[in-house]
Order: sequence, then C-alpha cells, then structure tokens
Amino acid sequence: MSATVKVTVDGRTIEVPAGTLITDAAREAEVHVPIFCAHSKLPPLGACRICVVEVGMPKLGPGRLPVTGADGAPEIAWLPKVQTGCTTTVADGMHVRTDSAVAVKARKGVMEFLLVNHPLDCPVCDEGGECQLQDLAFAFGADFSRMADAKRTFVSEDLGPIVKKEANRCIVCMRCVRYCDEMMGDDALTAHQRGVLTEISSFNRQPLECEQCGNCIEVCPVGALTALPYRFKARPWDLRQHITVCPYCPAGCSVRLGVRGMEILRARGTEFRGVNQEYLCVRGRFGYEFVSSPDRLSSPLLRLGGSLAPAGFDEAVTYAAARLRDIAAAHGPQAIAFLGGDKLNLEEQYLFQKLARGVLGTSNVDARTRATARLPGDAILRATGAGRPSLTLDQLSRAGEALVLGDDLQGEAPYVQSLLILGQHQNGLHLTVAHPRRVKLARSKFGGEWLALKPGSELTLVNALTAASLEAGVPAGVPAEVGAALASLASALGSPEAGARETGISADDLRRAAKRLCAADQKAIVFGRAYTEHPQAAALVQAIENLGWASGALTAKRASVMFVGPQHDSQGALDMGLTPDRLPGYVDPADAAARRPFEQQWGAALDLSPGLSAPEILEAAAEGRVKALWIVADEWVKSAPDRARIERALERCELVIVNDLFLTATAKRAHVVFAAASFAEKEGVAVNCERRLQRSARAISPRRGARPDGEIFQAVARGLGATWSYRTPEDVFREIARLTPGYQGLSWAQLLPLGPQWTSPAPLAGPRIAPAIAPAAAEAGDGLWMLSGGTLFLQGSLSYRGAQLPKLAGEARARLHPDQAQRLGIGDGDTVEIAGSGGSVTLAATLDDAVPAGSVFVPYAFRECDLNRLGAPAGAGLRVRVRKTAAALVGA
Amino acid sequence: MSATRSLVAALSSDLLQPLRISDATRAEIEKSLTRYPNRRSAVMPVLWALQLEIGWLPPAALRYAASVVELPESEVFGIATFYTMFNLRPVGRHHLQVCMTLSCSLMGADRLFRHLEKKLGIGHGETTPDGRFSLRRVECLAACGGAPCLQVNFDYHENLDEAKVDRLLETLE
Amino acid sequence: MRGPLLFSDIDTPGLASLEGYRRGGGYATLAAVVGKKPADECIEIVKQSGLRGRGGAGFPTGLKWSFVPKNSPRARYIVCNADESEPGTFKDRELMEKNPHLLIEGMVLAGYAIGSNTGYIYLRGEFEYIQRILDRAIDETRAAGLSGANVAGSGFRFDLHTHLGAGAYICGEETALLSSLEGFRGQPRLKPPFPAVEGLYACPTLVNNVETLMNVPHILNHGAAWFRQWGTEKSPGTKILSVSGPVKRPGNYEVPLGMPLSQLIDDLCGGMRDGMKVKAVIPGGSSVPLLPASLLDTGLDFESMNAAGTFLGSGGVIVIDEGTCMVDALWNITRFYEHESCGKCTPCREGTYWMSEVLRRLEHGEGRADDLDLLADLADNILGKSFCALGDAAAMPVQGALLHFRDEFEHHVTHRSCLVNRRRDGLSVVRPCEQAHA
Ligand SMILES: Cc1cc2nc3c(=O)[nH]c(=O)nc-3n(C[C@H](O)[C@H](O)[C@H](O)COP(=O)(O)O)c2cc1C
Ligand code: SF4
Ligand code: FES
Repeated sequence: MSATVKVTVDGRTIEVPAGTLITDAAREAEVHVPIFCAHSKLPPLGACRICVVEVGMPKLGPGRLPVTGADGAPEIAWLPKVQTGCTTTVADGMHVRTDSAVAVKARKGVMEFLLVNHPLDCPVCDEGGECQLQDLAFAFGADFSRMADAKRTFVSEDLGPIVKKEANRCIVCMRCVRYCDEMMGDDALTAHQRGVLTEISSFNRQPLECEQCGNCIEVCPVGALTALPYRFKARPWDLRQHITVCPYCPAGCSVRLGVRGMEILRARGTEFRGVNQEYLCVRGRFGYEFVSSPDRLSSPLLRLGGSLAPAGFDEAVTYAAARLRDIAAAHGPQAIAFLGGDKLNLEEQYLFQKLARGVLGTSNVDARTRATARLPGDAILRATGAGRPSLTLDQLSRAGEALVLGDDLQGEAPYVQSLLILGQHQNGLHLTVAHPRRVKLARSKFGGEWLALKPGSELTLVNALTAASLEAGVPAGVPAEVGAALASLASALGSPEAGARETGISADDLRRAAKRLCAADQKAIVFGRAYTEHPQAAALVQAIENLGWASGALTAKRASVMFVGPQHDSQGALDMGLTPDRLPGYVDPADAAARRPFEQQWGAALDLSPGLSAPEILEAAAEGRVKALWIVADEWVKSAPDRARIERALERCELVIVNDLFLTATAKRAHVVFAAASFAEKEGVAVNCERRLQRSARAISPRRGARPDGEIFQAVARGLGATWSYRTPEDVFREIARLTPGYQGLSWAQLLPLGPQWTSPAPLAGPRIAPAIAPAAAEAGDGLWMLSGGTLFLQGSLSYRGAQLPKLAGEARARLHPDQAQRLGIGDGDTVEIAGSGGSVTLAATLDDAVPAGSVFVPYAFRECDLNRLGAPAGAGLRVRVRKTAAALVGA
Repeated sequence: MSATRSLVAALSSDLLQPLRISDATRAEIEKSLTRYPNRRSAVMPVLWALQLEIGWLPPAALRYAASVVELPESEVFGIATFYTMFNLRPVGRHHLQVCMTLSCSLMGADRLFRHLEKKLGIGHGETTPDGRFSLRRVECLAACGGAPCLQVNFDYHENLDEAKVDRLLETLE
Repeated sequence: MRGPLLFSDIDTPGLASLEGYRRGGGYATLAAVVGKKPADECIEIVKQSGLRGRGGAGFPTGLKWSFVPKNSPRARYIVCNADESEPGTFKDRELMEKNPHLLIEGMVLAGYAIGSNTGYIYLRGEFEYIQRILDRAIDETRAAGLSGANVAGSGFRFDLHTHLGAGAYICGEETALLSSLEGFRGQPRLKPPFPAVEGLYACPTLVNNVETLMNVPHILNHGAAWFRQWGTEKSPGTKILSVSGPVKRPGNYEVPLGMPLSQLIDDLCGGMRDGMKVKAVIPGGSSVPLLPASLLDTGLDFESMNAAGTFLGSGGVIVIDEGTCMVDALWNITRFYEHESCGKCTPCREGTYWMSEVLRRLEHGEGRADDLDLLADLADNILGKSFCALGDAAAMPVQGALLHFRDEFEHHVTHRSCLVNRRRDGLSVVRPCEQAHA
C-alpha cells in the first residue's frame, strides 16, 4: 500500500499511508489519542472506547465538489456518533477532532466509567507511577468522583508462580488474553463470566500452564496483573532504567533493567523500542537474577601450590602474560588456543581474537565450543546470503512460508517462535517444521506442516527438499553461475522418493513442502545449532546453502535464510573472526590484499594457515599438543562434546586461563581465573540473528573485583607488550568499523536498540553450490537416538544462578514416548540410566508422546545432568541404551 | 464470592476423576460435529449434550469438550461461563427458573419468587438439600404474554400464581 | 383467523407437520420459485414489497439481500435470528412452535435468492423444545426432497441446521450471534465489515429475523403489490405485536403496520384489566423509549414511532399501568441490561452497573438531588459510545423515562418514597452479580 492520504487532526494536516488507523495518524500529527485495548501486535478490537474521536468528511455539493463555508474553508460533515480511533482507518480528506466538546465529553465519560469499579488502591499498587489508567485519569479525568456507590468486588488470586491477579483493577481490555493467544500461542488466559462480572483467569482458576513469560503482566495497562517476584519491591520512580540486550538468545531483545542502588529489581520490555518492544520471554524477564548471585567471584584467582587462591588483578595479569609468553616461546604460538566468546560483546570478541592473532600469533581461535565437527568459518555466512540484505524479524513474521529446520525455537529463541506464531495468526504465514519431536510450533493448532523426520536423517531431509525444489527447475533471478551449478546439482541429488525412505516423510509431503517454499513470495528458512553442532555440520550447512538457492530463499539481491545461533552474540563471534580460519569480516587470512589492513592496524604479521577448530583443540590439548588454553564466557567442561576428553585436556595443559562470573567446574581446573563482569555491568554491542547491531547499556557498576572481559584482554595484551590503549568499547568499535568488511560506515551513535543490520554491498563470499555429502562415519553407540536441544526455562550456565528459572525448570527428565517406555518397562517417574559410548547419566523418566519412539530426549542445560558424559556424537548422531535402574526399584 | 472460590477448589478434585459418558451422548456429540465446517462451532452443542447427561458441567466435562472441539481448555471455560444456562455447579433435578423481567414483574413475578423461596427454603442460585429443586431468577423467557412465568428445566409454565405453582411443585418428583 | 398473513392459519391443527402445512398450500411457492425464477428476480420482488426487518432495526430486507456479493468465491450462509430475547417479545416463539415449515420455506427461498447452500437457525437456549420441533420439520423436508441435496428436483442444494444458544440476550445482536455460532463467547464484532460481506466464517452471510423470513414465501407467492395492501407506504405489510402487561387479553396480534397503538390495546387486547389505567407503553421491546399515555394514538409503524421519539423495534408492547412505579420499572429494565451486557466495552459494562446502582438508591429512597442529572448524563455517556447497540438499548429507556416521568423520579428524591401506591409487595431485591453462576 504505497498510496498516501491526507488527514487533518485537530487542525493539523498530515499525509499518511492509506490504511493507517486514526490513532496512528494522530500520533504522526503529534496529537495524543489514548488507548487501552489496542496494541500494536494485536488486531484492532475497539472495546475500551477510550480512543473515541469525532470524525468528519468534507461536505460534497453538486458535481461532488466540496462545499466551502463563508471563510472559504471546506465545510465538514461530522458523523453523528463518535468513532473509535483504534479501529477506524483514515480516508483522504478526513477530519478528526479530539478536542471538540463532543469528543472531550465522550472520552471523559469513558474515563469515568473505567473508574466505576476500579479500586482506589494506587498507594499499594505495583503499577503506580507507570499505570496508563492513572496517567490518563490525571490527564483527562475529572477532579472528583460522581461514583459514590458500592463497587463490584472480586478476590485476588495467584495464577502460578509469576502472575498475581488483582481482578478489581482489571479494565477488561483483553490485551493479556489476546497476547497470550496471538503472540505466545498458549491460550492460558480467558475471560470468565460476562458484563460487569467479567474476570480474567485460567481454566478453572488453575495455575497458568504456559511459558510463564509474564507478557500478560507487561501488556496490562493497569495493575491487574503484576509480577509476584517483583511484588512490593519498589516504586518505579525510585528505579533507574537502563536498556540492555538480553544475554540469552540471538533474537536480541532489548531488556529494560530497573535498578535501585546496586540492585537489579526487575526486567521489562521496552514498550516502543528494540526488536521486541514490550515482549520478553521468561528468560529475559527473570534471567538477570544471576547478576546479584552471592556466588559471584569477587577477585581473580591464581593456582598456587595446587589450590586456587584470591589474587590481585595486576598479579593475575602479570602471571597470565608471563606464562603465555613462556609457552609461546617454548612450544610456538600454535601451542596456545583461545576458546569461547559468543557470550561476549562484539568489542570483546574482536579484542579476544586480536590478542590471539595479533599479539600471540596463534590462529587457534574458536567460539563454537559445543561443535562436534569442524565447520568452515564462512559456511554460515554463505548459507545466510554472504552479507546481502537479509530477512528481518519483522519480515519473518510476514513471510508466507517459513521452514524451521531442526531446532525447537521455544528453547533456542523464544521471541522468534512468538513472531512465527504472530505471523501465523495475523499474516497468513504457513509453518513447516522439520523436527523429530512434535515441538510447540509443530502442534496442529498452528496449522502448519510437521515434517517428523527420523533422527539422523537431517542431511537427507535437506537434500531431498532441495531435490524437490529443483524438480520445478532453477528459480529465476539467480546468478548465471549459480543456475548452472544448481542444474548439475539436481542430477547429483537423488529423487525425493529416495529421501522419503530415509527420513520417513512421504515424497508427496516433501514435494508439497518444497513447493510451498518455492512458491511463497516472502519466505524464510530458519536453522540453528541443531545443525551447526551436528557431527555432519559442514555438509548440513552446505545443504542449507543449496536449498536456499534452489528455493529462491537466496537470490543475487536478498537472503531469506536466518541463522539462529546458540548464544545472544553468536553472530558477532562469527563476524569478529572467533573462528580458526577467518579474520573479522570473514577475511581469508590467505588473501594478502584483504589481510593487509589488519596487519597494518595490529602491527603484526599474521599466521596464514588456518588454526584448529574447537573439537580439534580439544583433541590436541588432550594429546598434549596444545599446552595453553584461554577459555572465556564458557563452561567448557560441560559444553565440550566429550567429557572424558575435556577432563584429560584440562589436566594436561600447562596453563588454563578462565574468565567467568562464577567458579565453574571449568574455572576450578584453571591456573588463572579472571572474575568477569556480567552483561548488566558493561557496555557493548551484540549482533542478533538478523545481523542487527544493538548496544547494551551499563546498568550497574561491576561487582567488586570483577572486570569487563575487554579490560582483562587489554591488560594481558599490555602485559605481553602490546600498546593497546582503548578507553571505552566505543574506541574498539571504531577500529572494528574501520577494518571489518560489512561493518564499514557503522557508527557507535547508531547502535541503539533496533540499531542497523550490517550488510555488504558486495557479497563477502561467492556462492558455493556443491553436493552436500557427509563423510561416511558410523554414529557413536547403538540403541536409542539421543535427542537433545534447548529448553525454555534454562539456557547456558548462567540461568541456574537465579531463583525463578531453576524453580520453573524443575528437575531434568529423560523424555520417552509411552510406547518406547513400555517396551523398556519404564514408567513415568522411574529412574533410568542412559549409557552412551563414553559413559552414562542417571535421571528420572517422563512419558511424552511428542518424542518419537526409538529415541530419548533430554534437554541441554540441566546442571545435574551432563550429557557430554555419554560421549561425543559422531556420524549422524549419538545412540544410547536406556534402562530402568535398580534405584527405581528400591524407590530412591 | 469467596464461597464460590472454595466451591471451585472443591470441584477441582473432580478433574482427577475419569469422565463417564454414555454412548448416546457420544453419538450426539459426533452428530453435532457434522453440522459445522469446523470443530470449534460445535462447542455449544457439545456442552449441551454433556450437561443434558450429567446435569451440569464439571471441569472434567469442560476438559473433555475442549478435547473434542480442539480448543484450549481455558477458552472452553470462558465460553461455558459466558452463557447463563450452562451450569458450572450441580443443580437440582427440577431447575425452577423464574422470569423476573419487566412484564413478569408487572404481573407479580416478585411475589411468586418470594413465595417459592419461602416454600422451598432456598434462595436464588440454591438447591434444596434433597437435590430436588434449584431456584433461579432469570431474565425474560419470551413468554411475557403468559406472565408471570417460569421454566422447569426446559418446560414453560405460564400465567402462574401461588396456588398454581404449589400444584406444579407437587407434580415434580 | 387471528391475522391477515402470518396468523391467517396459525391455529390450524396439524400445521406443524409437513402434511398439515402442505394442506394449506405450503411449499407451493418453493416449488414454483426454486430453479424456476431467477434469483435476482426474487430479490427484486422482496425489494419491491418494501419488507423491512422484523428483528428490531427495520432495515429493508431486499436491500440487505442485494448486499450479499454474487461473485464471491466463498461459501454464502443464511442465518435465521431466532434468539428472541428482547423483553416483551414472544412472537417468534409462537410462529416457530406452530408453523415451523413456513420458516423453513422462507429460509430455502432466501438461500436460493442469495445463492447460499447452508442455513442455520440460531435459537435462544430456552427454546430447546422448539429446536426439537424444527429438527423434526427439517428432517421431514429433507426426506421429502424440499431441503438437502436437491431442493424440489431443481439441483439447488440447501442444508439447514438448528443451533441452540444458552442464555445470552446479546446473541440476538447479529455479529454476537455469529460469534456464538462459530463457538466463541457471544460478543459482537466490529462492523464494518457487515455480515452480508463478511459474516459467518468470514463468508458473506445474511442474517434475518424469524418473522422477516416467514413473510418471504407469501411475498414471492403473491407479489409485492399484494403485500403492500397492508401497512403504510414506508412500512408495508403486517407486524406481529406481542402485548404484555395488565391488559385483558395479552398475547400476539398480527396487525397492519400503522394501526394506532390505542386500537391495539383497547380493541384487540380488550383494554386494561379491571380498574387499571395505562400509564405508559413501551412499544417495541424494552430497548426503546416508552410512550406516555398521552401518545397512545401513535401509529404502529416505523416512521410514526420515530416521530414520537421511540421505535417500533421488535414489536414487544409492554403496557404499564398507573399503579406501577416508574423508578422501579426502569430499575428492572436497567438490571436486565446490566445482566446481559457482554462486558466487551466499557460504557455498557460499567455504565449499566452504575445506572442500576443509582436506580436502586432512588427506589430505596436514598436518592440525592443530583442523581437525576447524573442518570441522564450516564445514559448520554453510553448512548452512541458503546461497541454495539445493546449499550444504546440500555440508555434509551432511561432517557425516555426521565423525559416523560421526571416528576416521579424527583418525588423519589424529595419524599424518599414512591409517588404511586405500590401495588406489588415485597420486592426481593437482587443484584445481578448475585445471579451469576460459578
Ligand atoms: C442487543 C440486540 C439484541 C437483538 N436481539 C434480537 C433478537 O433477539 N432477535 C432478532 O431477530 N433480532 C435481534 N436484534 C437485531 C439483530 O441484530 C438484527 O438486526 C436482525 O436479526 C436482523 O434481522 P431483520 O433484518 O430480519 O430484522 C438485536 C439487536 C441488538 C443490538
Ligand atoms: S454495548 Fe458493549 S458491553 Fe454492551 S453488549 Fe455491546 S459490546 Fe457488549
Ligand atoms: S418479561 Fe417475563 S417472559 Fe418476558
């Protein structure tokens, strides 16, 4: 809709796109039209009536010419009734009055009605000070109350551990109910009764069965829904508010932290800013709690005489620098490896690899510590369009067809999941979800197609979808060389029928899915760590690139493939070269011309050969070839794919440096531990899954004794003789923006919430179409397929350290299909032992028909259950044996 | 209202009890599903069928209805409570629903209701201890020409007075 | 014969059966029209007849039919509004109970005219026994090939179903009715789009009242001019008026539109019961402003009623006698709207509650000097500001009563008691909130 129309609001004429709602047009005209029930993520409702305005059109006389009055101005025919601005779209020539006697009386009348049954308990209401009803009563209400009668009263109730409901305050705007349905897909809330007795609650007033996101609280314009964890903790005007980027997932939601003194008391969405506006998932809302954990490290630690003891910062820096220098001198820089960092800020990521490459001279750098196989540093870049303008989250929710490959977005990127649900509800988006488990998005209520592939057939599935796409020929608009390559790829790929046998999905279903994807004008392919951490990652990501070009999701101009990485700044880690074979901006170190600016800036000649990837470093360290490890922002003992090997590696290394907030199992094995500052305690940029750069503010000063990782890197670099002198992250960012292809031209000032996406006018890598074939390798172990994945309530090593998330997550469970469990003689709640090639774990079982028979599902990230003890996946995955343990028999 | 709350709490235990439904009701439910292009539309007929069998709609029945029409349970709860004729708590065998709207009121409905209260010893929304009668005030029954009137379950009784009502009660076992 | 048209044979024994209905010439129109007369011509005849909706709003029926898009690729539906919940109205009940086949014939014809293959009859929950009557009649027609896959051998398909509501006045409002039929809480939807364009399942849908549809076979049988022999130029035809209150012979009367109200009450209903006098009449169901006794000569047609400051509405004529306290009567009506407000929009949900609180006070002699102005202002703040017309329906009676009987309200404030001797004893007062279940 490109046409615009002219409207006049309270005498101000503006031009807005046709189809604009009066409330939005008024905002453009800087006229405040209040709203309660309307919400930008919900379809118009028109229920609360607070937005009533007078609407008129010019009177038309003979020949449809406007009639003008004595003063020459067109006469307006005002509609006899006031209209709701939130449901009425503007028309050309329309006049809107919000300040006429009629409009003012109507609005005041509604305002007065809203207060009829609203209690005057503002002094004890958590919403006080940021209550839209309070604000409006202040702005538009009367200064006395005509309502002198008894109010209708309800009893308040707790709807589970998060939501406190004070029904008397409710103004029945239905935002919470509709948000829960339209955005969260949970339908946990409903209206009970009707009329003045309408009350929002759950099924039979039970605790809410939902994602516990608390967005109902967020969208409630009054204090009817408040957060139990925050209840009576603070008055909003006592809080400083700082907008940070959520540290939990690559969606990059802006989180507004409310801080009093040194304490973070709550987290909220930002209402009008950020990719998320008001939205936060349960992790965003409660995940900050680890920041104020009493277990935080309060000083660096040094291993002296066998045990770790507190040390001064300078002492630790000097020691670390000296040891690194010694090892590099004795064994060569390649004996040093740098690991982790996709939870760091962009600037810190840059400094980390600059320290490795530019100061120490090692290219053994890899952030992807969970990876089980080597994945080229530019593979994901190519699969997502090589820097071409790419899909935004907003466009994702407007796509006609979205193909979600391999990940349960509920655990990996809850906001991305919500946008898909929103798209499905409001924009006609159709979902195709390829996942062995029936994950939330694959439920029938979302009207999509569930491709329930057999575990281990991931690569076959993507190849089969590509083959099916190419049956209709090569899509128009691909570069000529791509077209030719696709044509020959088509003959190399088997038929969808062959794919059907292996994946268990019929050839028809495969063809239909491919056809929908190819046919959609706006489409999206979403993938994440399920594929990049797969033993066949390199082939899988290549297969996704093939599918992207074959389906038209990649074109010469645009990319509609989104990588939803495992951490909030995984994209930044790739961009900043936390990969062994690429410099920042995906520069190939072997490319002399591209390399030169880095060498000049860093004042060092670079190692041209690719370094070791994380799984290779693990192996090399276990074998004693790598002698020093620096592990940042990563609990490698838990995240490395093979537990036995990582234990051996840490044992054998001469020097292990760990930056962390806590004395993790990894930190306990270190020789030097730096106490790091948390996300809330430092400033810096994170790059989300849209490649959007957003700056996180520093909400509080770092915990005593802790330092931002960037400061630690700089101190060690200087200890190693470098002349780094960055005073702020902005200094670092300026250097990044100068050197990094794709980042050139970006300025620090732009990088607010909803900052720019980086793009490259020229693709940063050429297309590569190639048969995606996994090297023949048997999967590790035998028995059931071991399925794992992210889970909503816990993510990474930080989420445990708070109060809410572990409580919501409950205990780790092994999920088995009821049929499978029956075959194994396992009942709900029984203790089971899961044994893999490398070892075993013991935990309780739960029956779950969303898990396919022939497999067992245990989510990542449960502290009490280290899946890497089972051994590293290989081939197409990991297989395990599951049996009921004797412990269950004695009832333990 | 807190009485309501404790009642609801008491009834929640019913969620654990399996729901037993007759084949006839199941068949009725199946039939109602054929009348609409989607399952959701059958929610009212399904609730009616369950209420006709059970007499009221315990939470387990609502759960069952939700599964039949493939709607969230919460939503079915919201629907059931919206309509006054769905009973969310048990009612007596004979549900006396006395119209109290204007035409009936003009013709003596208030007196009639007071009489029933005294006679049965129960008030609005209550049930006699023997489970025989429940009493309710309702809005216009579309029988204003025969005011005052009441419905016993689905049966209309019009042009009533105290004596007629007394005789009516005697016929109701 | 109780009336010229719909009531001409209403009391004929056996009329409710297919056989009985056919005996009186039933389904002859259907046989003559379906597949024989072009659909457009049917719409044109209904337009010419000047038939206006009998459900309350009086919208020209033929015009509404012509709004249903002809070329829409979507299914089209026809929905009969048999929710009959407007206080004082009980005509559809008698019509359907005694002559179900006339409604079915009307619906098949309407379906044929707009090209719809599916019809639903939405009955209020209390009409369960009528549902059984209709279901039986529908089965009969299906067996006789008068509905179903091949109507009267014409190849036209028309399936008809009944749907039972469950106690919600708001489901008489057409969009709320559609919400309810689709399995949602019965709350109204935004208009536009109007149901004719986007109604049931977002498909073009025609919603008509029972009485409206029952006129259709007669009109298509005898023609527009024949229909216009009754009524006035702008309100042609007859209307069934449901008369209640203390008249000698309450009940349904079919009269030509335009008949003076006094004639209906005095002649047809035999006047008031012994010793009683008319104080006021609500002419069109409780939603419309009342008329004082001085305006009883007003004609029972859409225009005359509008000129007198009220509406013909659904034709529920409630006669209020001199012995009735106006404050009490208005409080009763307002409680009805408070109880029936769906709760979606603020003015209606909160306003009806507040108005009945004020009326309760007035009735109990606890009123204050400014309560009448407050009441008038509350009604004004609801009128035209609510989401659907239920809010208006709650406001208008208040305005009417205050306009014509202000002195009685003032008396309540100044003397803290009723002006009239209250005939009725022992009002047992209930707040609607006590009426809730669950
Ligand atoms: C609150 C409200 C209640 C209504 N109740 C009824 C009703 O019970 N029966 C009915 O036929 N129309 C009722 N209507 C009118 C309908 O919305 C609609 O106008 C009518 O069904 C159209 O049919 P008609 O054109 O044949 O009259 C009601 C309207 C409102 C606003
Ligand atoms: S006016 Fe508002 S609250 Fe009242 S019935 Fe209509 S939508 Fe519901
Ligand atoms: S007022 Fe009682 S049936 Fe209508």
